[in-house]
Amino acid sequence: MSSIAPLFVRELGYALFESRGKGRFLALSEAPAWLLALWPSIPSPPDTIDLAEKSPFLENFLDEAHAFWASALAGECRSEIWVESTPAGGEVPLQAVALRLQAKPVLALHSPDLQFREHVRTLQTARNSLLDHERLLREIQKKEILLHCIVHDLSQPLSVMHVVLDCLAEDGMDEKKKRFLELGKNASEQQESMIREVLQIFSADLRATLDAEKGVGSAPDLRASANAVLTSLGPAFEAKKVRLSLAASQSANGNWLVRGEESRLRRIFSNLLENALRYSPPDSQVSITLELQDEFCQASVDDQGPGLPPDLRPSQIFGLFSKGTQASGKVGLGMYFCRITVERWGGSIGCASLPEKGARFWFRLPRAFATPAEQNKSNAANKLPSAATPPQRPLAQGPLRILLAEDQDEIRLLTTHQLERNGHTVTAVANGKEAFDAAAKAEFDVVLLDEQMPIVGGVEAVHKIHRASANSSKRPYLIALTGNNTDEDRERLLSEGFDFVLAKPFRLSALNDLFHLTAKAAPSPPPSRLQSQAPPSAALPAGLLERVGGDEKLLHQMIRTFLNDMPKRISSLHQQIRRKNSHQIASLAHAIHGSAAIFGAPEASAFARQLQNLGRDCDFQRSAQVFQLLKEEIAKLEQNLRGYVRHDRSSGSRTPRKPRRVAPKRSRK
Amino acid sequence: MIQKKICMLGSFAVGKTSLVRRYVESIYSDKYQTTVGVKIVKKVVQSRDSEVTLVLWDIYGEDDFQKMRWSSFNGASGFLLVADGTRRATFDKALELEQKSREQVGLLPFVFVINKNDRVDEWEFDSSMDDQIAAKGWTTLRSSAKTGENVEQAFSLLLGKIMG
Repeated sequence: MSSIAPLFVRELGYALFESRGKGRFLALSEAPAWLLALWPSIPSPPDTIDLAEKSPFLENFLDEAHAFWASALAGECRSEIWVESTPAGGEVPLQAVALRLQAKPVLALHSPDLQFREHVRTLQTARNSLLDHERLLREIQKKEILLHCIVHDLSQPLSVMHVVLDCLAEDGMDEKKKRFLELGKNASEQQESMIREVLQIFSADLRATLDAEKGVGSAPDLRASANAVLTSLGPAFEAKKVRLSLAASQSANGNWLVRGEESRLRRIFSNLLENALRYSPPDSQVSITLELQDEFCQASVDDQGPGLPPDLRPSQIFGLFSKGTQASGKVGLGMYFCRITVERWGGSIGCASLPEKGARFWFRLPRAFATPAEQNKSNAANKLPSAATPPQRPLAQGPLRILLAEDQDEIRLLTTHQLERNGHTVTAVANGKEAFDAAAKAEFDVVLLDEQMPIVGGVEAVHKIHRASANSSKRPYLIALTGNNTDEDRERLLSEGFDFVLAKPFRLSALNDLFHLTAKAAPSPPPSRLQSQAPPSAALPAGLLERVGGDEKLLHQMIRTFLNDMPKRISSLHQQIRRKNSHQIASLAHAIHGSAAIFGAPEASAFARQLQNLGRDCDFQRSAQVFQLLKEEIAKLEQNLRGYVRHDRSSGSRTPRKPRRVAPKRSRK
Repeated sequence: MIQKKICMLGSFAVGKTSLVRRYVESIYSDKYQTTVGVKIVKKVVQSRDSEVTLVLWDIYGEDDFQKMRWSSFNGASGFLLVADGTRRATFDKALELEQKSREQVGLLPFVFVINKNDRVDEWEFDSSMDDQIAAKGWTTLRSSAKTGENVEQAFSLLLGKIMG
């Protein structure tokens, strides 16, 4: 090498050594600064240095380098980067390259300091992001659990409270007690509104997650997921001498695609199998069975353990914080996770003791024929084998034949009581299967189905009813009762085949609103004395009393509700327009449109409809203009209704009322 | 003097560098600093009646950004397989790496360390994973580089296995 070349190599930051055998190396270039900082005593030629002695990493790499020099391979042999510490405590990143120069075995060392720092920075950022992402996913899962906790655990007692208060209101009581009752109802409504608000916040967060999930890829394969988990848990089963098997029915023709997401589906299998293993005695069997059930795939995990604890209901087993005795510092969320995940994908989950011994845990998921987005785009009639004729809403002039499916005993009892007291005929059942059976045996005008029920949930039941009535000219009007009452949930349930969605807690007034809103004009009853005596200023909108079947009490109730709710709705709508929240604007305008239509206010109703569309189109400027017009129309309607109520109070003592159907007559003080 | 090469193996951010620093320098930092490349430190310990120099190879954690080069394992006497008890995915990664190690470098003594035991509230490892580990017959310890819990013991256990 010429005398300039070694200097040039040093300036480039390289140190070149020629291998002289027996681990000795001869320096071919001037030592760069980083090398002197690391190993100050580099001998000058003709002395040689034992590099392996200097660095354990080099010692390791030199084996590879010697193998390369001894081979006929062309090119070079490059080490990965390693870090050496200087005597002064600094760190020097290094990389070694074995190559041949003029047929001599040469080792080039260099310190890629700048690239290394850049690489570290990039990698640090990427890994921090990954860790943040993992943390975020865990947080979202916690929120998801909290969301369901709020909906199910807080809403259920509230539902009971509402219905009890409504029932009490129908009994005769003095004014003082009535006021107390009103206070109680207002407080429970306030609480419900708070729960809903929290729900909306969580729902917005979750929507982002779910959207991300949709983008991940195709629907998971139930059998492939079961197989994967079976393989990974195989050793654990072997260790406990528990046999594990998987059987799938042939009817699926290899298509086991279900709605959901792969990693969570595996987690569900994993949780169920781990649970089965925990309770399985040695030399027993755990079997996974996959079956096709119409539009659903069902997976069952059977064990030969002691079966379910007799004092625990399945709902408790899938409940929050249901902890096993072997808890290892981990919160008991396994079964709860299974339930909330399966339900969110439109499926159901359950468990039961087997007749002889053991337990069966099963879950059922909708088969993935199309993505949810595709389903939403398609026509409802194409999605389900629905009746040829569009759903008919029953007319409201007579009592309805109602089938109620609700798994909560107290709510079922009270809702039945409330409906019956209002003249409807009610058949009450505890799950979707019983609902389907009842619907097959008798004719109903309306079927009220709780969304989440054991054995067969509301969604599955509604699919079955659609299929059963595919060749019929008539089918019942299908209403979902749901605690998941966000707009997204409503859209989802409508796309599943429900005709309408009612939020839980159930309110009779909501059912009445629905049918009075859409009822065809009933034959006019004889003119009401009240209406004929009312002065023009207190006149009711034409046909309103007829629309409620001449039931003045119901009308009063509706007006009170309207006057109570509407200011809040208008205020919320104004707020959402200022916040430019298109979703909420459309939703609130939709609700106001319905209410205004009930009270025969066509202008208000039309403005509300216009606002609903503007909200959807994100046209906030025009939304604000139309809102002012709507507000004025609503104010007129409120004034009119207040005038009517005042007049009715003042003339009420002179007007003979229709006797109550059930409640005892009461005397006025 | 006897020298034994020990490698640290595991997913990224499980605490491999923290365990080494706690063991060698008795220090710990909460700040996560990713390891790029390989860092080698030594520690002289007493084993039975002789002194042994442990040469600890702190190898970067494998992920999508950095793949392991198994040549770093040449001449290794054993390894610590590390997972993070608060991240379930690191358990799967540990299973995968242990299997790869057998394919790449053959059977080596190792100890499975489930790190971050100071954060049990966030623990994601459950009894089924314990069952899986027990089924494999792994020597396992729960450790905390932060508090020093079981750090010394993990290396001692490994050295004991290496020395036979």
